[in-house]
Amino acid sequence: MTDTVAESIQGDLGQANVLRTAAGARRRRYVLVVLGWLVFIGLWWLLALWVGSEARLPSPGRVFQEIVAILQEDFWAQFWASIVRVVAGFFAAVLIGTPVGLLMGRSKYWSNFLQSPVVVAGSIPGLTYAVMAFVVFGISFWGPVLAVGLIAMPYVAINVAEGVRGVDRRLVDMSTAYGRNERQVFRHVVIPSVLPFVFAGVRLSFSLAWKVGTLTEVFGSSKGIGFQIRRNYQLFNMPGVIAWVLLFVLFMLLIERFILVRLERRLFRWRQWERET
Amino acid sequence: MAQVIINRLKKTFPPPTKDGDPVVAIGDISLEVEGNVFVSIVGPSGCGKSTLLNILSGVETPTSGTVSVTEGGRAAHLGYVFQDARLLPWRTVMDNMLYVRDDGDAGETKATRYLDMVGLSHTHDMFPGQLSGGMQQRVGIARAFSVEPDLLLMDEPFSHLDAITARSLRDHLQELWSATRKTVLFVTHDVVEAVQLSDRIIVLAPGGRIFDDISIDLPHPRRATDPKVATLQAEILGRFEEMHPAPATA
Ligand SMILES: Nc1ncnc2c1ncn2[C@@H]1O[C@H](COP(=O)(O)OP(=O)(O)OP(=O)(O)O)[C@@H](O)[C@H]1O
Ligand SMILES: [Mg+2]
Repeated sequence: MTDTVAESIQGDLGQANVLRTAAGARRRRYVLVVLGWLVFIGLWWLLALWVGSEARLPSPGRVFQEIVAILQEDFWAQFWASIVRVVAGFFAAVLIGTPVGLLMGRSKYWSNFLQSPVVVAGSIPGLTYAVMAFVVFGISFWGPVLAVGLIAMPYVAINVAEGVRGVDRRLVDMSTAYGRNERQVFRHVVIPSVLPFVFAGVRLSFSLAWKVGTLTEVFGSSKGIGFQIRRNYQLFNMPGVIAWVLLFVLFMLLIERFILVRLERRLFRWRQWERET
Repeated sequence: MAQVIINRLKKTFPPPTKDGDPVVAIGDISLEVEGNVFVSIVGPSGCGKSTLLNILSGVETPTSGTVSVTEGGRAAHLGYVFQDARLLPWRTVMDNMLYVRDDGDAGETKATRYLDMVGLSHTHDMFPGQLSGGMQQRVGIARAFSVEPDLLLMDEPFSHLDAITARSLRDHLQELWSATRKTVLFVTHDVVEAVQLSDRIIVLAPGGRIFDDISIDLPHPRRATDPKVATLQAEILGRFEEMHPAPATA
């Protein structure tokens, strides 16, 4: 079959081109990221010189020392305390949000019924959840978990609903024609089509959840990154406050980049070849 | 080798707009097909060809009338090749072949054999997105044959393909059919294709009624360039002109 051979040769060349430009684009992106950080630190340094007061705006160097100190001290314990709550809250959000989303995606009736509460829940500011969680649980492990769960749930639900609505009718029909039962259709057609949407919901709400979790810790906890920010603030230790905030941001980025994005790529390997049809 | 009995079949769909009329996809069709025959269903766009296959395969239910698809008293096994390939994009070619079987890994040998017949055994571990449209369609054809159906339904399987690929797949299909000999219902709007492939051509008119029922008595396999085939094609195209299909109402 000559046309097939020609096709595959062309395919190979195409792929090589894509790879080459992809590598170049990646390199350019890294350069830009590093440059961005350098500019940010440079501006900060100038601003600190101009303010001239360590209690109000410490210099990057001073904060760096603080970061090193924190990393040698109890960073991991505090970080662990925070992350466990965020993950627990997330787990609750997926546990509740997935069935809610399935209902909304499957039936018009449930969609109308649940739409408003879910949208309202999604647009309430994180601070409200943080305060609410504190009022309900006081200083406890469950406060931040509740706040994270409440903030992330609507995202998961809405995305799952979107995913269910997006299930390709034609693939379901194909399955019916070949005598596949409902369980097989659910497992091999519905779940794989919804999964990317669940993942998008998780990624979208992750930074939000991480922020609200930390915010709740500021007044509703005796552990975790949020609590450390408040403690340093009360001690008038500005370098400490900024160091914790920076560590917070840094770890959020790392988790997002290296865990979520990689997991997504692995899970959805087939998507890289998906084409518009 | 199945037996298909369609008795006074009607199918209407709910009106597309609030105060429109219901859409009549199939007006009134009665039809019997039995044995190792290759039957084409031709007709202008919107005359209910896909709907007919969907009802036969259980994807749609009739509004009234009955259909029965049997093989020696039991429900027949079906294979269905769609207008588009309809592969699961998240499964490899082989996993797509195995999805429609119930014998798990044991079916792999069989699946491989049919993939081989359409010249695609090397795509075993590829995802559908890595294949060209024509290759995907060939996987769809291999999938339909691999379940070794009693009745094979094909809905314009070559209409999205270029002329050259379509021609080579048509030859392929004749080979496969000669080797396996099952009952085939083949939808197309290409009369030329229908004459080359079939023993019998059912012509549908707009509104989903049978307009004509033509038998073709030429030995298989037939080449598109065979003068006998060409003569018949011209004659049947002539009959078509009597139908004056009205353009589909918007
Ligand atoms: N699921 C559906 N809901 C509503 N109307 C439908 C549906 N499926 C088909 N129809 C309508 O039924 C009629 C027949 O459709 P069908 O797809 O069977 O035509 P066809 O003969 O296969 O046409 P084509 O050659 O263009 O594929 C059309 O008017 C179409 O709009
Ligand atoms: Mg059709």
